[in-house]
Amino acid sequence: MARRKGLVINDRQLDRCDDLLRKLKEVSGSSFLALISASGQPITTASDEYHPETLSLASLAASSFAATRQLAKILDENEFTLLFHEGKALNLHVSQVTDQVLLIVTFGRQTQVGKVRLYTQRAMEVLRQVFEGPDDEEGPAMDSGFEADAGLAIDDLFKDL
Amino acid sequence: MPLINFAAREINYKIVYYGCGLCGKTTNIQYIHRTINPEARGKLVSIATEEERTLYFDFLPLTLGTVKGMQTRFHLYTVPGQSYYNASRKLVLQGVDGVIFVADSQITRLDENVESYLNLWDNLLAQGDDLAKLGFVIQMNKRDLTDVFSVEDLNELLNHTNSPVVEASAITGKGVFDTLKSVCKQVISKTG
Repeated sequence: MARRKGLVINDRQLDRCDDLLRKLKEVSGSSFLALISASGQPITTASDEYHPETLSLASLAASSFAATRQLAKILDENEFTLLFHEGKALNLHVSQVTDQVLLIVTFGRQTQVGKVRLYTQRAMEVLRQVFEGPDDEEGPAMDSGFEADAGLAIDDLFKDL
Repeated sequence: MPLINFAAREINYKIVYYGCGLCGKTTNIQYIHRTINPEARGKLVSIATEEERTLYFDFLPLTLGTVKGMQTRFHLYTVPGQSYYNASRKLVLQGVDGVIFVADSQITRLDENVESYLNLWDNLLAQGDDLAKLGFVIQMNKRDLTDVFSVEDLNELLNHTNSPVVEASAITGKGVFDTLKSVCKQVISKTG
């Protein structure tokens, strides 16, 4: 089966991302990190104790980020590459890795915004290479029986409804 | 353009409910949320005005389960239907794999249906989507009402792609899952 168009993540890319997120979490003192697609789907996360609902978080963060980019256009700014929300106990930092990938970082009072921004910026340079390097050009093909089995699973999910 | 994470063995498809204001997009997604096995769905997120009109989108993730070793999910979105929210509609359409166009069958809503239908194709073409790879279903909603167009007339007006059509009454649930099933199968077939 032909390779699909879209964002495809292979083992090597995911290993590098997981490794990088773990290090970023450690050095920046952040509580939760997630890589998501620009269309709002989670790719991978790094967290010890704090586990927000990732699907909703990814969807909302990607939408907010997309809206922020449009705001930049309306204001004749080239781009806003960062979204930051400050809360009482928790802060949210969303930044653009590539056209298709965003990085979410949450952190509390135990660290400083500047520290998170500094290390996030450095990590993004490496992450960009992961997604824009040659690895992005090749991915395994889907199993040839996927479509038939997925059709049966869909019938099963919606039966009697 | 689905997100395929071979390393995590996950595949995610994005499906968008499109259509004019008050045509029943949110009603579809609310019915699915109420009725489907709770273990197969995530949290319903709605960004709406105080009058419960969609301001940005509704979002509902559905899990199909593991297919050929891949955890397969459908992420359902609605767009705000009112014409002045086009900027928001464009954002929600980004990365879409399948579209359900919900047509309001009432005779009085003809202009709004046509405007929304044209607006959908404008937005898809503007973002450079390969339309041949997009799943597409037209749901003719509100068939339970009396003052409605015939299916043949609506088909002629709104179905230049000769796409599958499902008659529905989202408020009672009729046709809701048939519509979703049709688009889910298409996105898997077309993006493969």
